Amino acid sequence: MVNDGAPDIEVVAQVLGGDGEAFGILIRRYEPGLLRFATRMLGNPDAAADAVAESLVRAYRHLAQCRDPGRLKSWLYRITGNRCRSHLARRHMNDISLSDAPPPALVDGTDAWAVLERGEQVALVERALAALPAEKREAFVLKHVEGMSYEEMATVTGARIPTLKMRVHRAREALLAALEEVVR
Amino acid sequence: MSWKLVLALALVARSAPLVAQNGNGSGTTRLAGRVPAAALPAIDSIIAAAAAESLPTEPLVQKALEGGAKNIPADRLVNGVRRGLLQLRQARAILGHAVPGQSPPEGHVAAVAAALARGLSGPIVERLLTLAPDEPPGPALHAAADLVAHHFDPDSAADLLVEAHNKGLRGVRLLDVAVAADHELQRPGGRTPSEALAHVRAMLPNLRPGRP
Amino acid sequence: MSPLDPRLQEALDGERDPGDLPADLRDAYARLNAVTHVLKTTPPVSVASRVMAEIRENPAPVRRGPARRLIHWLGRPRAVTVRLRPVWTLALAAGLATVLLLPWSNGGPTPGVAQGIASFVGHFPGARSVEVVGSFNDWSRGVLHLNDDDGDGIWHAKAVLPAGPHEYMFVVDGERWVSDPLAGRYVDDGFGAGQQNSVLIVRPVSAQP
Repeated sequence: MVNDGAPDIEVVAQVLGGDGEAFGILIRRYEPGLLRFATRMLGNPDAAADAVAESLVRAYRHLAQCRDPGRLKSWLYRITGNRCRSHLARRHMNDISLSDAPPPALVDGTDAWAVLERGEQVALVERALAALPAEKREAFVLKHVEGMSYEEMATVTGARIPTLKMRVHRAREALLAALEEVVR
Repeated sequence: MSWKLVLALALVARSAPLVAQNGNGSGTTRLAGRVPAAALPAIDSIIAAAAAESLPTEPLVQKALEGGAKNIPADRLVNGVRRGLLQLRQARAILGHAVPGQSPPEGHVAAVAAALARGLSGPIVERLLTLAPDEPPGPALHAAADLVAHHFDPDSAADLLVEAHNKGLRGVRLLDVAVAADHELQRPGGRTPSEALAHVRAMLPNLRPGRP
Repeated sequence: MSPLDPRLQEALDGERDPGDLPADLRDAYARLNAVTHVLKTTPPVSVASRVMAEIRENPAPVRRGPARRLIHWLGRPRAVTVRLRPVWTLALAAGLATVLLLPWSNGGPTPGVAQGIASFVGHFPGARSVEVVGSFNDWSRGVLHLNDDDGDGIWHAKAVLPAGPHEYMFVVDGERWVSDPLAGRYVDDGFGAGQQNSVLIVRPVSAQP
């Protein structure tokens, strides 16, 4: 019987051998990152929970099609990214739920960010992130929040590395510009 | 009987061999495009013969796929598949002799054929089959083939495996017997095969399990 | 929205030491790091119970059918130093190949048969590609590739395979069929040219102590 510390490939083997309970190990291992990713993609924790739950169930049902258990993480993120895109396609980007509170009033100056409360910082950043096109938002989150390499991101998104770099670069520019706009 | 019924019955009878060929998912459908077209009729015929004799067909399909992948010329490919059929027949005969009065499971026939392909002789195979007729014979046979491949005497190898089985080693653990024997043979200072087997015999049943 | 200085982009991509950035770019670097730090909070929810409930209610059927449907590869192997012995022995093979536990089958998986992990390692310096072709993938090309990420000539990969015996060969650079020197078990392929297939015996993961 595999334990919680077993490598992905062993857990996958166990699940495919009929031990569905072993899939719980993979859930515990990857759920936090997938929820974080989906929340940043959808801007809505409930929608994110739905997307991740649907993705994990789908992953369980199609586990035999994961041709590369050593890259299980990328495969799970790919499924979740696709699920998030489906959710987004069913509603316009502008409908992404955010806090209804107005943007915080900031004083001018380079210390503006530092004087914000944590919650205000989160709201500010979430608003800026939500304003990005989905592809750039996804690329930025995978790169900077999930800490993936461009190679992993290529596996997750199916996009080429130069394309991903461009998306991340543009996302950085847009986020910085959005934050500076609020501060101004 | 109306002509329509006769025609219908004739069509059913005509299609029966194809159904028998493809009944377990093997046969023509998997081989199409994978083996030379010139070899297909002969291969189909061999597989059909196996099916008709209630022999496992999957090993033959695998052999055909292998030959196709390796770009083996059609005539040699067909010969390879035919050789597989002969080994399956021989395997069933050996099983029938070792365990008379029982129809051997398909898996046992394939396992014995694989052992014959690895060079084990009929008598050695038969001897190991009588160890535990109801257990899958694969592990014991592969263990014996491993020992013989490393130049241990076949009869001595079979003796050791019988003793290991009698001391409670089953299945994969019998393969560990072969690994242990090879370890003993490789020890610095040199050991003869007899010495190596004697050392393993003394360790039974406490052999180091094989790693995953 | 003005383009970011390429030096800043490089630093954010890990391709430049941020300490080398001028002061204004360091500020922007710090600001983006602050943004990502904020975004890294993990939502305090879990979907585990609801996913497991769904799985228990509708468990996936144990895989049946040709072995080719049950093949999985580990695509990112770690660097492995393999000391190649002039004579391949079962001891080395045992260290690399998993061993069967019952039941053995006719070639395809039987209901409830477990899966095991097979490791493949080959020393092919200068090779452009190495793949494994065998009975577990219906001898299909382009399915199971080994990797040599660090370019040291050691190619390796792992696969989840049905428990039982499997025959296979390496195919190097798309055309050269080679027996696995570390397999320890071989069988004539029966096509009359003396070519030897390697034989691997896989033990189910559940059999581990």
